[in-house]
Amino acid sequence: MTHLPYILASYGLFTGIALVLGCGAAFRLKKARTRLAALDRTSPRPSGAAPSP
Amino acid sequence: MSASPTLVARTGSFFHRYANPGRFLKLGARIQPWLTWTALLFTLAGLGWGLFYSPADWQQGDSVRIMYVHVPAAILASGGYAALAVCGLLSLVWRHPLADLAAVEIGPVGACITALCLATGSLWGKPMWGTWWVWDARLTSVLVLFFLYLGHIALIRAFDDPQRGYRAAAILALAGAVDLPIIKFSVQWWNTLHQPDSITLTGAPTMSSSMLWPLALSMVGISLGFAAIVVARLRAAVMESRIRSILSSPRRRGGSA
Amino acid sequence: MTRKSRRLWLIIACIACLGAAAALMLRAFSSDIVFFVTPSQVETKPPPADRTVRLGGMVVAGSVKREKHGETPVARFDVTDGQAAVTVRYEGILPDLFREGQSVVAVGSMQKDGFVASEVLAKHDETYMPKEVAEALKKSGKWDPRFGPPPSAASWNSMTVQDAKKDLSGKNSAASNPAQTPASAPAPAAN
Repeated sequence: MTHLPYILASYGLFTGIALVLGCGAAFRLKKARTRLAALDRTSPRPSGAAPSP
Repeated sequence: MSASPTLVARTGSFFHRYANPGRFLKLGARIQPWLTWTALLFTLAGLGWGLFYSPADWQQGDSVRIMYVHVPAAILASGGYAALAVCGLLSLVWRHPLADLAAVEIGPVGACITALCLATGSLWGKPMWGTWWVWDARLTSVLVLFFLYLGHIALIRAFDDPQRGYRAAAILALAGAVDLPIIKFSVQWWNTLHQPDSITLTGAPTMSSSMLWPLALSMVGISLGFAAIVVARLRAAVMESRIRSILSSPRRRGGSA
Repeated sequence: MTRKSRRLWLIIACIACLGAAAALMLRAFSSDIVFFVTPSQVETKPPPADRTVRLGGMVVAGSVKREKHGETPVARFDVTDGQAAVTVRYEGILPDLFREGQSVVAVGSMQKDGFVASEVLAKHDETYMPKEVAEALKKSGKWDPRFGPPPSAASWNSMTVQDAKKDLSGKNSAASNPAQTPASAPAPAAN
């Protein structure tokens, strides 16, 4: 393959950015979900859960 | 003008169906796995095909494979900013609460993909053009887009009162949208080092179908991936705001005291 | 008019004004935004010798002369936009993509004996095709890369590498298709 370093750098950058963004979002979602579940257990009916009219 | 209020009202009510964060959480939880897995499948198929099976270009050789990353990144850089502008409009006109949260979450993802577009473009330009960077209209307008993203990210977080930040960032997003047609048409309006678009609405794509297919796959895959990441971040943001409202609710404070 | 639609119209008006302002500004500066000037522009209005300009155009087929002055390679070639041609002199290594018929941008200044470039950038076009397809097009006489862009994309973009290889191995069929020079080939102006 010609220009291999440039190609590898491009695909590597893409993989790196995708991994950082994807894993970051996944961890943040997981943390928020467990936190919310724990709070819902301690205060059973939070005001925010009821849909606004 | 007589039709405008009903249209405005109808558009508003359509978006307000999904303005409800509870409804968005339910919808998001349902579509998240589909988005994520199809995105992974298409991206891996497209990039794998592009990297290993698609032919090399007759004059650019294998460096043409950078295209399968660069072109989707470039389209999503503009697409992400267009999404920011739509969020800005929804925020300013309809005071859509979810649009503000979405604008906060789209900004960093869009800035990353714009940086990726600039970096892969540089990595492609060095071996082909013979330079990492030139100040031609296409490259410069994309660099301006990158700074617009950075400005948006900073502005929306700059105020103690988040509502003021949302308002200012929405105005920036709408004003900055002027850059999008400049990016799109820069290669037609002015002499640039960057080549014109290969895929147009009017003509046959000036690209062999053996390269067009992997490009289409990776374009679909990376777009879905962008959407999946934004939806995941937005769901997390809605949950976090709910956590904040629970923690600060007077009932809870009274209960814990 | 409700408050919402008033806000919407206000925003539409602001965007329209901003767009118009941007368009006017870009129009005013468009001569500065262009990345390169064409040979015919240089011919009609030669820039002063102390000003760096970027000259863009196609390398004229058969005009490239490579020499060696000691260790440094020196290249001379004509750059054309179809109407005028300017001779460019460049000391150094040309980019990989440089060939006859390729679009290039030469950075340098206009001297008495022609354009002296300090840097040559290759500008590739928006066509992407496998090597085999390019060979098949060349063999069939539909395209000579030295004279300009390939024929209309619809005539080749669905050709697979296998098709092209078949075309290349069955060369005799190509003989019945007499070679024709592409209509887009510009006649290089003598200078």
